[in-house]
Amino acid sequence: MEELKKKLKEQIIEALNLQDTKPEDIDDNAPLFGEGLGLDSIDSLELMVLLERQYHIKVEDPREGRKILQSVQSMAEFITSKQPA
Amino acid sequence: MKGKCYIQGMAAISPQPTFEGDIFQAPLVHTDSNLLACIEPDYKPFIPGNSLRRMTRTLKMGLTAALKCIQDSGISSPGPIITGTGKGSLQDTEKFIKEIVEYKETALNPTPFIQSTYNSVNGLIALQQKCTAYNNTFVHRGFSFENALLDSIMMIQEGASHTLTGAFEEITQEHFYIKSRIGCWKSAPVNSQDVYQQLSPGTIAGEGATFFTLTDAATPQSYAAISGFRMLYKPSEEKLATTLRNFSQSADLVICGRNGDSNHEHYYEVMDACFPGVPQLPFKHLCGEYDTAGAFGLWLGAWILKAQQLPASWFPMQEQLTAPVHSILFYNHFFGEQHVMLQLERV
Repeated sequence: MEELKKKLKEQIIEALNLQDTKPEDIDDNAPLFGEGLGLDSIDSLELMVLLERQYHIKVEDPREGRKILQSVQSMAEFITSKQPA
Repeated sequence: MKGKCYIQGMAAISPQPTFEGDIFQAPLVHTDSNLLACIEPDYKPFIPGNSLRRMTRTLKMGLTAALKCIQDSGISSPGPIITGTGKGSLQDTEKFIKEIVEYKETALNPTPFIQSTYNSVNGLIALQQKCTAYNNTFVHRGFSFENALLDSIMMIQEGASHTLTGAFEEITQEHFYIKSRIGCWKSAPVNSQDVYQQLSPGTIAGEGATFFTLTDAATPQSYAAISGFRMLYKPSEEKLATTLRNFSQSADLVICGRNGDSNHEHYYEVMDACFPGVPQLPFKHLCGEYDTAGAFGLWLGAWILKAQQLPASWFPMQEQLTAPVHSILFYNHFFGEQHVMLQLERV
C-alpha cells in the first residue's frame, strides 16, 4: 500500500502538472479538492482518466468518484480493492 | 467606414522583444530556421500558478497579452471581448488528436479537449476579469483578426464605449512540417532579416499574440485612430489597385505584409504602383507569416504614429522619419487570399 501511494502521488503530480509540488508534500489523508492540493472539477476528470489509463479501472458513478478521489489514501484503497486477489 | 475608433491600450507578445521595455531601443531578433518563435514573458505576475499549470503556450500568451493590454489602457473592465485566431491552440489540438489515436477514443484527457476550442483564450480573459459582457472569437483563416476588428468597430458604432480586441496564433513543429508540405515555407533556410531579398516560393513562419483596447473617443494616451478598413477576398489585380487608390491617397507611410513569397509578390507590386514615393515598411521579418499577423502590423503602425519614430534596429533598410507621420496605410494579405487595408491616423 505504501508503495502504491508513493507511485500515485508521482502520477498525480505528473498528470496535473503540479510543478512546485513534491510527492512528500502530499499528505496521504489530506483532501485533494478545495483545501489541500486545491484541485478543481477539471482535475477530477483528469484523475478519472489516470485511474482508467494506469490501473484500468473505470469509475462509472460520479457519486462513487467523489469518495474515491477524496485523498491519496482513498484512491489507493480503491485501487487495491479492485485488484485481483 | 463610418466614424473612427481609437487604440487606447495595446500589448504584443511576438518574436521580437515587444512585451516589455522600449521597442525603439530593442535589437532585431532574427533566425535562419524559417520559423520565428515568440519571446515568452514571465507569466507568473499575470496568471495564478494554479491556473498556469494547465495552460499551453497560446493560452498563456493570449491571456497575458490581453491582461497587459487592459493594464496599458487604464480601463478597469474590458467590456466586450472579441478575438480572432486562425488555428487556436495547436498544441492542445495536436495532443487531443494524438490521444484519440493512442487510446482508441477512450480515456481522453479533458484539458487538451477543452483548451483546443478556439474560444478558450476569451473564456480565460472573461473568467479572470469577471467580465460577463459580449464574448466572441472569429476563426476565418487570414481574416480572423480582421473580423474581430470589424465586429469591435461595429460594437463601438452601436454605442459600446470600449472593447478588448485581439489575436493569437502559435506555430508548432508539426504544423510547420504540414504547411511546408504544401509549399507555404521557403524550401531552403533563409535568414529572416534577408527575407525580402530572397524572393522565391514560400515565406517564413511566425506566431504572436496581440491585443488592443479600442475606444469610441480619443484621449491624450491614445496611440492612433483607425479611420478606414477594407477586406477583399481573392481580388483581381485591377480590383486591388482600384480599391487601394480609392482607399487612401494621403498616406505618409505604408506598412505592408510583404514576405518574400514570389507566389504572391505581384499584389505588393500593385501596391507599389499605387503609392510611388511613399516610404514603405514591411514587417514580416519581425513576426513571420501567420493567419493573424495583421494584428502585429497594426500594433507596429500605432506605435509609430504615437512615438513619431521607427524602431531603428528593426528597420535598417529605412532611414529615420524626416517628416511627421499623420496617416499610415496598412496593407496585408494571407497567401494571396484574404487582403486587408487599414487607414491609421495620428491622434
